[in-house]
Amino acid sequence: MPTWLLLAKGPAFYFILVVFVVGLLRLVVLTVWDIAAAIRRAGDQRLPYGQVVRQTLSWIFPFHKLHRLRGFYSYASYGFHIAFLLTALFLRNHLDILRDDIGFSWWAISKPILDVLTLASIVGAAILLFTRLYRADSRHLSRLSDYLLLILLLNIFVSGYVAGRAWNPIPYDGLMLFHTLNGMGLLLVSPFSKVAHCVLYPLIRLGSEVSWHLSPRGGRDVIETLHGLEGRKI
Amino acid sequence: MAVSSDPKNSSKSESPYFYHVEPIGETGDRAEKFLKAFAAILQNSNYRFIVELFSITSAKCGRCSASCQVYQASGEPRDIPCHRTHLLLDVYRQYFTPGGQFLTRILEGESLSEDKIDDMAECFYRCLACRRCTLECPMGLDHGLITHLGRYILSEAGIAPKGLVVSVREQLEGASGNTSAIPLPALLDNLEFLQDELRDTKGIEVKFPVDQQDAEYIFYPAVSDYLMEADTLMGNAAVLHATGTTWTIGSQYFDGINYGLFYNDWVLERIIEKLVGEAHRLNARKVLVGECGHAARTARQFIPAFAGDKSLPVVSVLDLTNKAIKEGKLKLNPNTITERVTYHDPCNIARSGWLLDPPRQILKSFVKDFVELTPHGKANYCCGGGSGLVSLDETYEFRMKISGKSKAEQLRACGAQIVATPCANCKKQLRELVDFYKLPMQVVGVHDLVLRAMEF
Repeated sequence: MPTWLLLAKGPAFYFILVVFVVGLLRLVVLTVWDIAAAIRRAGDQRLPYGQVVRQTLSWIFPFHKLHRLRGFYSYASYGFHIAFLLTALFLRNHLDILRDDIGFSWWAISKPILDVLTLASIVGAAILLFTRLYRADSRHLSRLSDYLLLILLLNIFVSGYVAGRAWNPIPYDGLMLFHTLNGMGLLLVSPFSKVAHCVLYPLIRLGSEVSWHLSPRGGRDVIETLHGLEGRKI
Repeated sequence: MAVSSDPKNSSKSESPYFYHVEPIGETGDRAEKFLKAFAAILQNSNYRFIVELFSITSAKCGRCSASCQVYQASGEPRDIPCHRTHLLLDVYRQYFTPGGQFLTRILEGESLSEDKIDDMAECFYRCLACRRCTLECPMGLDHGLITHLGRYILSEAGIAPKGLVVSVREQLEGASGNTSAIPLPALLDNLEFLQDELRDTKGIEVKFPVDQQDAEYIFYPAVSDYLMEADTLMGNAAVLHATGTTWTIGSQYFDGINYGLFYNDWVLERIIEKLVGEAHRLNARKVLVGECGHAARTARQFIPAFAGDKSLPVVSVLDLTNKAIKEGKLKLNPNTITERVTYHDPCNIARSGWLLDPPRQILKSFVKDFVELTPHGKANYCCGGGSGLVSLDETYEFRMKISGKSKAEQLRACGAQIVATPCANCKKQLRELVDFYKLPMQVVGVHDLVLRAMEF
């Protein structure tokens, strides 16, 4: 068995999978817990849940609004997300490994379609990286981790795509080892990076709304903490 | 036309910022004070989890930069909403998360410097807190919330705009008890003048009731309206008169303004308490808020939050007037206003989608030539003086050349001769823009036009 397959079916992968699942689950549980606690502390506990759900859903299916600002970039980003998810979750090879590792999997998407999606992921990630480098505002906002994450994603998609081609000039097993290591790297950093938005996204707008529901006496408690019971003048 | 990046060049004061600073509390190490204030606020509020959530999920995609009118005009990276948000998130990560503290220790990271505090003090006040960027953030980050929190921390660390602090001091601790320092006798004289004016110009006997017990509404306009917006107030009173409802102005507290929204939650809550207290003293059943964006928002959002079982329903005068028109209680002459009229949505009542239709329905019921601004409604540009900036005269150059630039271009493009807006702050800023950019239009309140068209 080649090294990359041993790695993908070995204890290191199990460990990383546990870190990935438990790490993300921990973030969701803590955030839900914090939101519930904030609602309990709020003086006004009525929340516009319908509006929050509508807004959240509207950015999962943002077809009517992507064109409004930075259309090219926005469509590239959205396309990248869709293609990434479908490729990662519905590739036969991934699902075979998953079934061997944890005993179950689900149906796969046919390879020709996934080839197109993989290319779309590569193009999307490349546009995101190019935009970060090219646009002054994006460049200003970007940190090293933002670039590294995109490079990690490009590594995964390019190596995965090239490895399956007849014209691949690189030894297959070596390329797949590179692909596997980068994939494991992505899983490992997910709970500790902005990739965590994959599970926290549905809670962000709700959290923003809850935060505007201030707690009674919150301001006074701050003053007492800082200045004691005598408080301070305006 | 760009205001200098160097704040020292854009202000003639000794303040290092583009606004005058009123020192709060004892002097001392600013970084230490900032971190203590940050810690106290995280400990006693609902902000901690959202700062944590934003710091994990912010994608820094930069899409917000395209929706921010300040950044679009200035082109300065410090005006990108996400950049501003990260100024605070970085401090949070470094000082209030175990990972950040650990990394800072082993990598001997920089501690919070004077420059970083100055950056925040400048950036959080260059933000209009209009929350337009929130509409376009795919992730859903509310940068306006972080501006609110950043200003709150800064104020507890001793950095707050003098114009806001002095007004609030007068409102909460001064003799007059209102932000415009209007003594009660002057208010009563003013009300008498308004009554006379209505009698002389409209031929109606409308009373501005003071301290009437058991009224349906206690009325809170922006107190500055008593000095500067006579037509708006007379319009409000004429509508209330026509509807036959009972209402009153409280002699012990009559100011709808709540600058706490712009810089400090403690102040915000104390002002709400005064407002609710006066309503209960007079046994009013509802709070009626006049034409003021932030006053309407603070009353509606924070009376239920802070008043508990003493909470009262909050009604906007726009809703009341619109309802009266629909019920046929107001007679409005459609031939009075012949000019082209447009409507400016104040951020504080429109961004959330609250009062979008009522003002339009009011205007369209008697204005023949009504045009919309592009964009309008929830996506409308801020007037450029939001978040209290319009109350800081020293920010004039910034408000005209940078934050109000998009608004001026938008107004010019619509071709209207009258801009109606139900907000004292917006009106002041728009009038200054009209003068500065020499726009051929006048700026009025919605009820100014209602009053002109009303027949009795």
